[in-house]
Amino acid sequence: MKTIILNTADNIRPAEALQAQIAAKGEDAELIDTTTMDIRHCMGCNHCFLKTPGVCAIKDDYKQILKKLAHSDSLWLVSGTRFGFLDYKGKRVMDRILPMLNMDLCFRDGEMRHTLRYGTLNVGVVYSGEGNQQLLDFWCYRSSANLGGHSLGAYSVNKIKEVKVCM
Amino acid sequence: MHVVIINGSPRAKKFSNTDKIIQSFAKGLQSEGSTCEVYTLSNRSEWEAAWAAFMTHDKIIIALPLYVECAPSLLLEFLATLPTERRKPATLSFILQSGFAEGCQLRCGEAFLKSLPAQLGCTFGGCLLRGNNFGIRIAKEGERNKILKPYADMGRSFAQKGNFLSPEAARFVGLETFPLVLRKFIMLSYKVVGHRKFSRTATEWGCIRPLDDRPY
Ligand SMILES: Cc1cc2nc3c(=O)[nH]c(=O)nc-3n(C[C@H](O)[C@H](O)[C@H](O)COP(=O)(O)O)c2cc1C
Repeated sequence: MKTIILNTADNIRPAEALQAQIAAKGEDAELIDTTTMDIRHCMGCNHCFLKTPGVCAIKDDYKQILKKLAHSDSLWLVSGTRFGFLDYKGKRVMDRILPMLNMDLCFRDGEMRHTLRYGTLNVGVVYSGEGNQQLLDFWCYRSSANLGGHSLGAYSVNKIKEVKVCM
Repeated sequence: MHVVIINGSPRAKKFSNTDKIIQSFAKGLQSEGSTCEVYTLSNRSEWEAAWAAFMTHDKIIIALPLYVECAPSLLLEFLATLPTERRKPATLSFILQSGFAEGCQLRCGEAFLKSLPAQLGCTFGGCLLRGNNFGIRIAKEGERNKILKPYADMGRSFAQKGNFLSPEAARFVGLETFPLVLRKFIMLSYKVVGHRKFSRTATEWGCIRPLDDRPY
């Protein structure tokens, strides 16, 4: 099981604590601090679907993240919040995840989805600030389903000890 | 009524499905005597004017594509960096449109948008939801007009009511989920027509790799 932790929050400590917690269970968890990286907003060009399949047209530091996600089983996003949801920096790294999917369509669990370019990916969120727990749980559930995986759940940084490893 | 419409799509205006939807919606609005001004967030040079319009008008619509189950990060940045706090009351409504067609696909985005106006000092004017819009960009004119016409009807309705809180607006989303027979039919027609359409577009765009390539 390979886990990637993407930190987009100003304070990296919660991401480090999460990494230690996963590593303590003997799992492979790599922490990537995106706060020092050049990562731009997805601009919806659809090149990753239809022009250069699986390759993002934006030439920035996200490429190294994508290369790792392609061979990972789980993704934890450690993010600040705004308006009760992920803040724009947290959402930005998730909007860039489209190259993980193919253009091709299918129905999975009764809903229309894109087929998976690589394996399945589970998604979890650790958030700081005033997150809307219900909304973030809902979002984790839906986003992981898009990636063929299951939700690892949304946890406030104060409840990081409750994160279940080996899911 | 004068309406400020903000296009929250990160996609360049020329290619933006949201833009085509707004154009159709605006035609409906104007046919009932309302006026509107449109701002496009994919163009950063419009942000300042868009912020100013957002803070000073009382009828605002944010039109946005669903991006990974919620609002695009670009729109979140625009809202998070609003330079001042609102003093004047306003009604904030939304047009949320997506690629996938079932209503259930839009509910997470809707939940977020419902909670947003109060946090921006506005009252919630409802959410107009509809999927199946991915193809607007690559559709031929006839097909495109067919997709866009219902938005003009909703523009007329908005000009009369000033919000998307009507039963008509709630019905706009269509089927919440697709029954098994419909899913089978969709997959069949996708395999015959849809898949070929994507492959044709890829060829036109100069794609030389298989669409399910694994570069990494
Ligand atoms: C990064 C990205 C994420 C998307 N996520 C979703 C999604 O979660 N669900 C969905 O139904 N459509 C999704 N779409 C499809 C868009 O909502 C749809 O194509 C929309 O019509 C684009 O409008 P625009 O051209 O104005 O950007 C996504 C598109 C992009 C580029």
